Amino acid sequence: MNPHLIILFVAIPMAAGVLNIALHRFKSAQKLVACGALMANLALALWTLSAVYIGETQPGGVLVSQMGNWPAPYGITVAVDPLSAVMLSVTGAVVFGVYLYALTQLPDRFSGGYFHAIYMLLLMGVNWAFVTGDLFNLFVAFEIMLLSSYVLLCLGTTAMQMRQAYKYVLLNLISSTLFVTSCGMIYGHTGTLNMAELTLMSMQGTIPAEAMPAIMLLLIVFGSKTAAFPIWYWLPDSYPTMPPAIGGLFSGLLTKVGVYTMIRTFTMMFGQMPAIHDLVMPIILVSAGGTMFLGVIGAVSSSNVRRILAIHVISQVGYMVLGVGLATEFAIAATVLYMIQHMIVKTTLFLCCGVMERYGGTDRLDNLGGIGRRDAWLAALFFIAALSLAGLPPLSGFPGKLLLIQQSFFFDPYPRLGYVLAALGLATSLLTLLSMLKIWGYGFWSKTAPAVATAPRPSGHLPALATIGALVVLALSVGLAAGQYLKVARVAARNVLDPTEYIAAVLGDHLRPQIAAAKESGTPDALVAAADDAMAAADAGSSVKEVQP
Amino acid sequence: MILLTALTVGLIFGVSIYMLLGKELKSIAMGVFLLGHGANLAIIAASESPIGKLPPVLGASGQPTGAEVDPLPQALILTAIVIGFAVQAFVLSLLVLTWRRTRTVDIDELAGPDPATQPQHKDATTTRMHEEQPVPTSTP
Repeated sequence: MNPHLIILFVAIPMAAGVLNIALHRFKSAQKLVACGALMANLALALWTLSAVYIGETQPGGVLVSQMGNWPAPYGITVAVDPLSAVMLSVTGAVVFGVYLYALTQLPDRFSGGYFHAIYMLLLMGVNWAFVTGDLFNLFVAFEIMLLSSYVLLCLGTTAMQMRQAYKYVLLNLISSTLFVTSCGMIYGHTGTLNMAELTLMSMQGTIPAEAMPAIMLLLIVFGSKTAAFPIWYWLPDSYPTMPPAIGGLFSGLLTKVGVYTMIRTFTMMFGQMPAIHDLVMPIILVSAGGTMFLGVIGAVSSSNVRRILAIHVISQVGYMVLGVGLATEFAIAATVLYMIQHMIVKTTLFLCCGVMERYGGTDRLDNLGGIGRRDAWLAALFFIAALSLAGLPPLSGFPGKLLLIQQSFFFDPYPRLGYVLAALGLATSLLTLLSMLKIWGYGFWSKTAPAVATAPRPSGHLPALATIGALVVLALSVGLAAGQYLKVARVAARNVLDPTEYIAAVLGDHLRPQIAAAKESGTPDALVAAADDAMAAADAGSSVKEVQP
Repeated sequence: MILLTALTVGLIFGVSIYMLLGKELKSIAMGVFLLGHGANLAIIAASESPIGKLPPVLGASGQPTGAEVDPLPQALILTAIVIGFAVQAFVLSLLVLTWRRTRTVDIDELAGPDPATQPQHKDATTTRMHEEQPVPTSTP
């Protein structure tokens, strides 16, 4: 595959979005353009995935294109490594599924006019965030993604939803401002914003200590995009106000873009610095514990389907952030695996919620009931997706959760914190199951509610169920063929933890000796060992002190 | 020069945070815009001092002389200004839309009863699905 084709990930959605703005009066033409673009995007993503894994390049190859043929640290770099390729493929599948669902299920007030154009522009922003090779372009990608998400959030709003929209918009605007400020500060201290060059600098230990505040600012920015504890407060109020199709898209994609950038920044770019291991990783780990456990408590206590699902996004993000904080090869692989399954399963659950609302007229659990008797297929699909989210053994949530809990149980640098995190992870799983059973019990199982009994069969029911079914099959494959998916995830994790290939592909092969020399002086493993030694020395010191008196 | 710029950035951030904490949406929007300008100025402050340097324009020789200021922060700021412009346009149109729908731009009046904490209140979705509110076509 010609590496320059990867710019099509940005170009296709952009062209389709602009075309759709021009076509905003012609609905069927819009749908045709959008469907074509989404199919092309998915096909391109799968092609890239196969090229990165098994194609001409060796497994774990990196496709790089320099815009305008300007050499790397000066021009705009676009690069796809295995992690990006995985994210692009899953995004392509989820975005296509949600669009097919939205075609039949979204009320006209949302889907008329500019919805199709904004949908494509959102995809453009997300894809750009995955392929970009420098920090400032990541900011631009975030802005495109967020501006489109503001518009989707505000489409057809009523007075009631305005204030929730303001919360989301203003908080994201402020964190974007922090992002651009920290970009400027990092440039001021290091003289580059290219991810590969920053990675090389942190391997060589040439990033000055003064850049640390700017890097910590990035942690705040990405933490709030990811909805990590304690900066998650914008999510539970804004996501439930959206129609389920859009809510599903947001909870499937947007927070995962945050997790992806966290891996890119704190595992690959700055993960080679000792300061990150000593300072940032403990913060991330504590935040992950809070995110997992407090998030699920919020979900158990609410009684709207949408709200339960939205708050669940937070608690599930906690597992992924946990993997980022553990930063071992298996932990990162588990995070990637978990992201794959979560993007699919969470979106599926939101789409199920949409069909449930068509029966009950509302998503309040008090007014739902007996949908299982009206619609056995929907009930079956929801059941599989819900148990996948909870992580029951043969289903897709299980392998990722197992690996993460295992890795935190045997976490060497901070053993006690590891035990606590493993326990929190297990408790969160149980409570997830409880909250899913709550939806199941009240919504599908209990006595048939009057609204559900009299509701007519929703229009466009079959296409909606078929879309949900396809996503559920995809989710099932993640669970049943977990070994294959894990292999893919491990290659992605290895490439992020050992960025030799990435740097060589972006900055040129002539740097390989330098990279090898930098690795000799301090690989991540050596850093962990050094941290161990320091801990052991500290323990020995403290025990000596205890003995002395 | 850098100190002066940095102090200005601090001042702008302070003012914009004060405005963000206001009760009126107009003041909040202005605070966000000002915050963006402060960030742009911060990027300038983080790059090297321009005193004694030339503008980043190549002369007749087409070769850099080494005395030009670093053009990259300026390219970054240019991009950030364009993005900020789009964001400002969006926030202002959201303000107009809010006024048309609710006839208020005060954050407390807009808040009203919180749908999430009032179990008896009709759910937001239901309201949207069944009770379409008429939208006045013009602002008075």
